[in-house]
Amino acid sequence: MKSCSQKGLRKRSLALLGAVLMMGTAVLSGCAKKSEGATLKIGIGQFAEHGSLDNCRNGFIEGLKEAGYIEGENITIYYENAQTDGGTASQIVDNFLEKGCSLICGIATPMAQSAYSAAKKQDVPVIFTAVTDPIAAELANADGTPAGNVTGTSDKLPVQMQLEMIREVMPDADTIGILYCTSEVNSISAIEEYKEAAGDYGFTIIENGIQTTADIPLAADGLMKQVDCITNLTDNTVVSCLPIVLEKATEAGIPVFGSEVEQVKIGCLGAVGLDYYSLGIQTGKMAAQVLKGEKKAEEIPFEVIEEAAFYGNTAVAKKLGITIPDSLIESAAQVFDTIEQ
Amino acid sequence: MTILLGILEEGFVYAIMALGVYITYKILDFPDLSVDGTFPLGGAVAASLLCKGMNPWLTLIVSFLAGAIAGIGTGLIHVKLKVRDLLSGIIMMTALYSVNLKIAGKANLPIFSRETIFENEWLESFLPEGAKRYVTVMFLFLILLAGKLALDAYLKTRSGYLLRAAGDNEILVTSLAKDKGFVKITGLAIANAFAALAGCVYVQMNGFFEISTGTGTIVIGLASVIIGTSLFKNVSFIKPTTAVIAGSLLYKWCVSRAIRFGLPSNDLKLVTSVLFLIILVFSERKRRGKKNA
Repeated sequence: MKSCSQKGLRKRSLALLGAVLMMGTAVLSGCAKKSEGATLKIGIGQFAEHGSLDNCRNGFIEGLKEAGYIEGENITIYYENAQTDGGTASQIVDNFLEKGCSLICGIATPMAQSAYSAAKKQDVPVIFTAVTDPIAAELANADGTPAGNVTGTSDKLPVQMQLEMIREVMPDADTIGILYCTSEVNSISAIEEYKEAAGDYGFTIIENGIQTTADIPLAADGLMKQVDCITNLTDNTVVSCLPIVLEKATEAGIPVFGSEVEQVKIGCLGAVGLDYYSLGIQTGKMAAQVLKGEKKAEEIPFEVIEEAAFYGNTAVAKKLGITIPDSLIESAAQVFDTIEQ
Repeated sequence: MTILLGILEEGFVYAIMALGVYITYKILDFPDLSVDGTFPLGGAVAASLLCKGMNPWLTLIVSFLAGAIAGIGTGLIHVKLKVRDLLSGIIMMTALYSVNLKIAGKANLPIFSRETIFENEWLESFLPEGAKRYVTVMFLFLILLAGKLALDAYLKTRSGYLLRAAGDNEILVTSLAKDKGFVKITGLAIANAFAALAGCVYVQMNGFFEISTGTGTIVIGLASVIIGTSLFKNVSFIKPTTAVIAGSLLYKWCVSRAIRFGLPSNDLKLVTSVLFLIILVFSERKRRGKKNA
């Protein structure tokens, strides 16, 4: 406890140094980036970084453009990614509000909730996208009307169409396995829907919940032994480690169905998937309506994208000795004949 | 103004948790990682109870107790099963992930439509429209102040003195015919109770519980404690608990400035880590200095 004043001074200056360093980083990085001049400001907050959410964002910017809001001309767009950190998410929104954004776009459920929570105090409209269940997230009321000055688009999985497709490709299959992460609420609601609908197509669903990517190899091994095929959700944790699942499935000769085009590209047999880019465009157009003052966000019910299409991979089919029916190939939005590594 | 309010709100919430970290890290010299689990534990308890219609103020007490129980758990693992301090915390933190999911029922539980301590009919009935923006920060300040004063008072009691002795000189505690293990468990219980209380308030402020909110809590806690206590070390009239609160505000201010001035949030973790490293190296030196003196 007792130390001579010189030592105390040194300790204090070290602490100060730490604080100064931190501020220095902040100021330096501030010099690097500046965009000024445009009238309207829009903040886009994205919760995680992966293909479908990036497509959403690019689509959103394109949708705004189609409606006459061009980045750098009449609007300034700020983009921040929370990297799946809840604390950062709310900080990002505070920052958007401080910058005077007239609209905030929240991509994925937790980001949308953070945006709504902070923006409602100042009545700044929030437009969300890639929220699977806006009602469960309390961004919309049970009847589908907005819960406040917030609306957007939902990326509900086309579960029925996916099951129908699997039945067509595998007429004799009984069980479908699903891997999901227990901390992703979207996956849990999707699984419930799968379980409800599976019976209609003569399937049983066997699910296996994991907590981190490290659990995937063991969980996948366990699942392979019990099922005829596997179908993927849009589960961020599982999708980010999809190559591991695919490798194990190929070894076991079990087909894996995906939930979007990117997954089919890298080795899923097929998928009835959403086009996240057009989901983004649709969202961008909704945002433009609000910006133009045609309607308030609280007057627009959220929209669910309906345009799902089949994507197939013939190279995977060949490897597994499965033929994808011609009817599916003909109706496909895209068919790949190679497996992207 | 918005950003200032944001910093105060976040700073106050995390300061409640940092008061707990002050007990473990500074007083007991125990690097307790369980707060990464007890912070969301408080949130999970609050969100699930609010969904069941409990009075928002009561959830503060229940969360506080839940955190204390988890802290006792960490303490028992360490003291009774003789697991190293860092590992005991990691074990508790990992276990709490599953427990939190069980309590909340799912990974994301919104409470936008429920009454919270910041938004309820009673408040709506008399507050003017313009004051609503400041309700949150005011209540947070009051809760934090109550916590701080209670902790200050506790540290002056007999049990509080023993707690401080346990960190500085374990032999003294034993020579007073007191069980030093019991003292450690008490400290951990109080510390984690504060962390859970902070989590409870945080969830009510944000309007939803999210399982990922706990990640990195300990970093914020340690940063607040070390920045605060180091900066005000030689200012004798400022109590360490006050210094910790100042540290929390300063830390949140720095992070918010960093984002404000365009630091890509992708780099935020790196900056936090570098900062954390500086803090650790610096505090390690200090500890060695203490031994030499």
